[in-house]
Amino acid sequence: MLSEMLSATVLGVDGVPVRVEADVAFGLPSLTIVGLAGSAVQEARERVRSAIRNCGFEVPARRITVNLAPADLPKEGTSYDLAIAAAILGASGQLGLAPTRRCALIGELALDGSLRPVPGTLALAAAARTAEVGEVIVPQANVREAASVREISVRGAASLGETVAHLVGLRELPAAVPTPIPSWSAPSGVPDLGDVIGQPLARRALEIAIAGRHSLALSGPPGIGKTLLLRCGEGLLPPLEEDEAVEVSRIHSVAGLIDRREPVIRRRPFRAPHHTVSTQALVGGGSRVRPGEASLAHRGVLMLDEMLQFRADALDALRQPLESGIVTIARVGGALTLPARFALLSAFNPCPCGWRGSRRHACRCEDGAARRYVARLSGPLRDRLDLWVAMDEPELREEPDGAEPSSVVAQRVHAAWRRQVERQGVGNAELQGALGADAGLPVRLGGLLQQRGRRFGLSPRRLHRVARMARTIADLSGSDEIRQADVDEALAYRPERAA
Amino acid sequence: MIGVGAAGPLGVSHHDADRPRGLAVVTADASRSAPVERAAWISLASIPGIGPVGFAAVVRRFGSAVAALQAPPAEIIRQLPRSDAETDDALRRLQGVGWPTVAADLEEAARRVGGAVVTALDPAYPASLARLDGRPPVLYVVGHLDVLALPAVAVVGTRRPSGYGLSAAADIADEIARAGVTVVSGLALGIDGHAHLAALDAGGRTVAVLPSPIDRVYPPRHRDLAARIVAEGGALVSESPPGRQSGKPDFARRNRIISGLSEATVVIEAPDRSGALLTASAALAQGRDLYAVPGPIDSMASRGCNRLIADHQAELVTSSASLLHRLGLSVRRPQQAHVVASLSDTEGLVLGALIKRSGSIEELGARSHLATSELASALTLLEARGLVASYGGVTFHATLAARRIVYKTTELL
Ligand SMILES: [Zn+2]
Repeated sequence: MLSEMLSATVLGVDGVPVRVEADVAFGLPSLTIVGLAGSAVQEARERVRSAIRNCGFEVPARRITVNLAPADLPKEGTSYDLAIAAAILGASGQLGLAPTRRCALIGELALDGSLRPVPGTLALAAAARTAEVGEVIVPQANVREAASVREISVRGAASLGETVAHLVGLRELPAAVPTPIPSWSAPSGVPDLGDVIGQPLARRALEIAIAGRHSLALSGPPGIGKTLLLRCGEGLLPPLEEDEAVEVSRIHSVAGLIDRREPVIRRRPFRAPHHTVSTQALVGGGSRVRPGEASLAHRGVLMLDEMLQFRADALDALRQPLESGIVTIARVGGALTLPARFALLSAFNPCPCGWRGSRRHACRCEDGAARRYVARLSGPLRDRLDLWVAMDEPELREEPDGAEPSSVVAQRVHAAWRRQVERQGVGNAELQGALGADAGLPVRLGGLLQQRGRRFGLSPRRLHRVARMARTIADLSGSDEIRQADVDEALAYRPERAA
Repeated sequence: MIGVGAAGPLGVSHHDADRPRGLAVVTADASRSAPVERAAWISLASIPGIGPVGFAAVVRRFGSAVAALQAPPAEIIRQLPRSDAETDDALRRLQGVGWPTVAADLEEAARRVGGAVVTALDPAYPASLARLDGRPPVLYVVGHLDVLALPAVAVVGTRRPSGYGLSAAADIADEIARAGVTVVSGLALGIDGHAHLAALDAGGRTVAVLPSPIDRVYPPRHRDLAARIVAEGGALVSESPPGRQSGKPDFARRNRIISGLSEATVVIEAPDRSGALLTASAALAQGRDLYAVPGPIDSMASRGCNRLIADHQAELVTSSASLLHRLGLSVRRPQQAHVVASLSDTEGLVLGALIKRSGSIEELGARSHLATSELASALTLLEARGLVASYGGVTFHATLAARRIVYKTTELL
């Protein structure tokens, strides 16, 4: 007898529906799972057997075959346990003869038949919605997470027994209240721009970077506050838009990084991996593809302190997300695309000892060593960094100099972001092609930009970037039209001047 | 007579053949066969480790390079202050292959990179070097040979300059070039490179003395700069024969050619033990004028310069104008007053502040009370017009062009 249940798997950061079919046939007692099932899925056999018995059902002493479809999709994880168990019960006639309710089943089974939470429930519930089943059963602990997906009825179950009772219409599980999208509140424990001494140009560049989601490169000797300044960026980030919030929460759900009681994230992610991070951890990958830091920073910030200390292949791997906002991972059965659109905030020393160009300290590096050091920032990556600022030791001062606190700068940044969303739906850094009059760049200024480009020896690609930064600078001052001063200010952050 | 003796670079006659600086005694016989002797010079000078002193000793001992090259290698080596297996090998090879072939090969190697060989026997040999003890017997030159006969001033300094040093190098090299004087330097990264660039940007001439052969420009990062120096009327000079396989760059020998080609040497910034200090000692040893730019007492990069001044070895340079005055030079000043008329109030304010004193954006903000965004855009515009420049994007300074203009239109000051 054949029985079919619906479950879902995570592919990259998306949920994909998976059909779980069970067949019970005559033959020696066995339980086989087929359909590109990984090792964690194979282990489901033992969990499912115990759970079925401990809930008062029987594992038929027959040849049981479980097929996970579509067959070309690699399947990993423990979230099919519940669907496998239910399909076996269905195939062995233990769910009665009346048709059972159509509903997707997600959850890991403990040996006693209780349900354990699984990562990525947000993505899995979204997959159930695309399969148009109307209902999804998830472990109790995952209910709030699943219920943040709209247009599907989410029901939490504590065990296999409760699930079966619901499926056969014996005792209906209550439908969960949709999880509200929480309101935004400013992050706490983030350093404040009011405490940063000096460095006016770097502060301003940070403001522009966050406002238009541009990338920033700060260089300068150690101990002058590069890291502190970058960290201040977190306090400037505008709230996630609602649709962004669901998307970002889904990625973090897949990575198992959300608070299950408050699953929807409204604060933009701010990720700061250490320079020892592996390429795979930075951009994602692995046999079971997991989102890397670049995807976890999606719609937020990826901060790379000591950028030149990162592995060269890791830095190279950032070129694609910086250019197109995605990471493509080659794998068996085709390439997988993960979203990774972030503002890169980076800082580095100008040479291994850090003091090259400094007035107060002598650099101890060989010329060759210093050049090789900076050359780690390959040309293609250099081209993709928008704002460059060379920082120097500030004048000696003991007290902060009464500079603007983060709250004031954040107001400007948030307003500038709203202008971009309302005008074009994306950040200025993501605008495609050359800006024209429709983007508020007067023809006259297009000409000026070309002229400045020739004067400073800038590539056409760089000039496109300058125009987008000028758009953000105009947005920061609330102007619909880009003015000459905006273009000239954007040119002040050109790499040729800083490094 | 082709006039090796008459051409003057040697400035010696038979009578002072015994004096140590009489490098070659050009007998009537040798002068008839001048091309042959010249080829022998090129071959002999190409021997690794022979050096100018050894070369002079060998020619003095045997009477001519031709004669020397017919002697057994051991006898030649006996004349050298030092030698090694490489020297011996090279001498044997020279005698095996035949030195006329070696000389022809070297001339051909120089021609392949657009260069030429200039020996101290040639009229084209720079007069400024000809008078020196330990002058290089053979030079390899790419570019305009006649540039080497024109008045020149050396501008040298550390490979790891501060923004201040780069700005001073550019200012001084710019003034020297505008005064019609050649700027000589060593093509090194840092001060040297900026001095060459500033001279070119001022429309002037500049000569780079390489520590490497002309077919292997060192440092490689300055190959484009080297090409520009040649294209814009200057020259590359090297003492090392092209095509030499071995070869760490020879900085010490290069430095004495830099000072030797120049009437005066200006040290911009030099920390302790800087190569620029070797150029400074060479200038003093050669009896040339030495100038040094002072630096802040807490600046590592200026310690060498400050000591040269404190020890009265170098004259203090207070401004590029005063340096030119001391050198007896004057600058041709272009008329560009119309540029100022188009500046906005903000831009004028920023330029005025920078003419008074160079500074970072932070300092400019404190002095002018302008917002950072206003300063950033004003500085870009002023940079685009060539009125302001920055090194490393940290410290900004008014260019000479700006200073000249503003002297004329006093309203800004
Ligand atoms: Zn260093």
